Amino acid sequence: MKKAMTCLALGGVVLVAGGAWFVNRVVYSPLADAPLALSPALIEKGEYVARLGDCVACHSVAGNPPFSGGLEMATPMGSIFATNITPDKRSGIGNYSLDDFDRAVRQGVAADGHRLYPAMPYPSFSKFSDDDVKALYAFFMKGVTPADVPNKQSEIPWPFNMRWPLALWNAAFADSDPYQAKPGQDEQWNRGAYIVQGPGHCGSCHTPRSITMNEKALDERNANYLSGALIDGWYAPSLRQDPNTGLGRWSEPEIVQYLKTGRNVHSVVTGSMTEAFNNSTQYMSDDDLGAIAHYLASLPGNGKDGPPWTPSPAPVAWSSPGAKTYLAKCSSCHGQDGRGQGQWIPPLAGASSSMVSESSTGINATLNGSDRVIASGLPDAYRMPPYRNQLTDQEIADALTFVRSSWGNQGNAVEANEVRTLRDKTDPASPDPIILHMR
Amino acid sequence: MELKINGSTHQVDAAPETPLLWLIREDLGLTGTKFGCGLAQCGACTVMVDGMAVRSCVTPVEGVVGREIRTIESIESDALGQRVVAAWVKHQVAQCGYCQSGQVMAATALLQRTPRPTDAEIAAAMTNLCRCGTYNAIKTAIHELAAG
Repeated sequence: MKKAMTCLALGGVVLVAGGAWFVNRVVYSPLADAPLALSPALIEKGEYVARLGDCVACHSVAGNPPFSGGLEMATPMGSIFATNITPDKRSGIGNYSLDDFDRAVRQGVAADGHRLYPAMPYPSFSKFSDDDVKALYAFFMKGVTPADVPNKQSEIPWPFNMRWPLALWNAAFADSDPYQAKPGQDEQWNRGAYIVQGPGHCGSCHTPRSITMNEKALDERNANYLSGALIDGWYAPSLRQDPNTGLGRWSEPEIVQYLKTGRNVHSVVTGSMTEAFNNSTQYMSDDDLGAIAHYLASLPGNGKDGPPWTPSPAPVAWSSPGAKTYLAKCSSCHGQDGRGQGQWIPPLAGASSSMVSESSTGINATLNGSDRVIASGLPDAYRMPPYRNQLTDQEIADALTFVRSSWGNQGNAVEANEVRTLRDKTDPASPDPIILHMR
Repeated sequence: MELKINGSTHQVDAAPETPLLWLIREDLGLTGTKFGCGLAQCGACTVMVDGMAVRSCVTPVEGVVGREIRTIESIESDALGQRVVAAWVKHQVAQCGYCQSGQVMAATALLQRTPRPTDAEIAAAMTNLCRCGTYNAIKTAIHELAAG
């Protein structure tokens, strides 16, 4: 008995020691001691890679120096703040070696060994190629101006602020290998897959998450990948070939147009996609956008989406409670036929936001309006105004119910309490053009 | 691009997303149509496109190429328009007058499509704003027009 106890105690010690080693070890970087010349060409390439990854969207806030951090991200346990990633030696990452930088970007481990919260999308960024990590490093060391802006402390209380358990989370949920070209697929498809899964981290918003907060899938082998998810009061729609709630009715050139100009005949960027467009996708090369479109077009729908939407010949219920609000507030732009105005004002008839069971995007856009879409430096001519002060919860619910049941749309009804919830949780969009500069 | 406005054809040179109102006022000099809010909220910029009341500040010009556009300048070119204007004068609707070209266009479009509108139909169609509060006079004028 005594012997058994000793064995158990010894086993326990070994387990604890092994666990402690595992969560505190220095993770491997293949770039340790890799020689690197920070040439102007590499810095320029790194700037493009930073655009692909949209680093600026989180690591900058309007009015502060580029990449000096500060964006607040709400989590269920409290707010965390994006950090200063300028090459400032005191407040930023000026003392990072290439392999320190690599461990932060691809594995979520800071130079002092603490684990980053996966708000930093390192489960996606682990797909980065070695070359792109080197280029990014060159850009952040030499292309970005150092700014001595101190980091803000996270507001997450003990014990949840302990970082070591994230090592276990990573072991369970994060990939650690760079993207491997998939045999049997052509070069364009593989380039698209690389950008979508890796730098573009599209899945951070568009893939649903489990109760443990990990994305349910990190690539196309699982049908949950990019199948649509609720995030920050918006519904990031499916990017799969679902004909009504996804991209099934979009051609590849239309996907390219959307990412390049922020709009096409199906939709205009809304919610966090406006930021992703303003700061990232419009800067991508035509070849890369074509590759993204080609890859997305290869993701099958789930087959539960019904037949593709067509305009319904059934008469519109103009006597329904929401119709009057629609006529007064919505129809001037979106049309009595719900078809919008070409690419300039998005259609509501057949739109994925009108068809998907989650109604957050419609509610949020109606309450708060849209942020400025800034294409090639020019703010958009047509902006959705906020209606939170003009319409009651019930009026918004009725108008959206009308939209979601007219012109062949098959969305479910919207309840006033759903509007109430989002009204309390969200703020009106800013009418000001906000441009985050990288240099 | 070619625009058909008030029965004549105009060549305009503009980006496709330019709001129709900009072209009407700035390029063609038809300043009877007013800029109010620029957000389709107030209706001061209302014109007719193929007989429908449209808020020209949010109408990309690309969408109205080849369609019949009518502005306040041509309102008295048909019998209904003349009657609407006469009723407006009779009831002394206008106070400051800024919103009235839009009000008249909206009322004419309504009566063209629905010669005998009910109260509910008038309320649904006449959503233009008036800071002077001429709503009662507008309603009276439209009721009289609806009665023939």
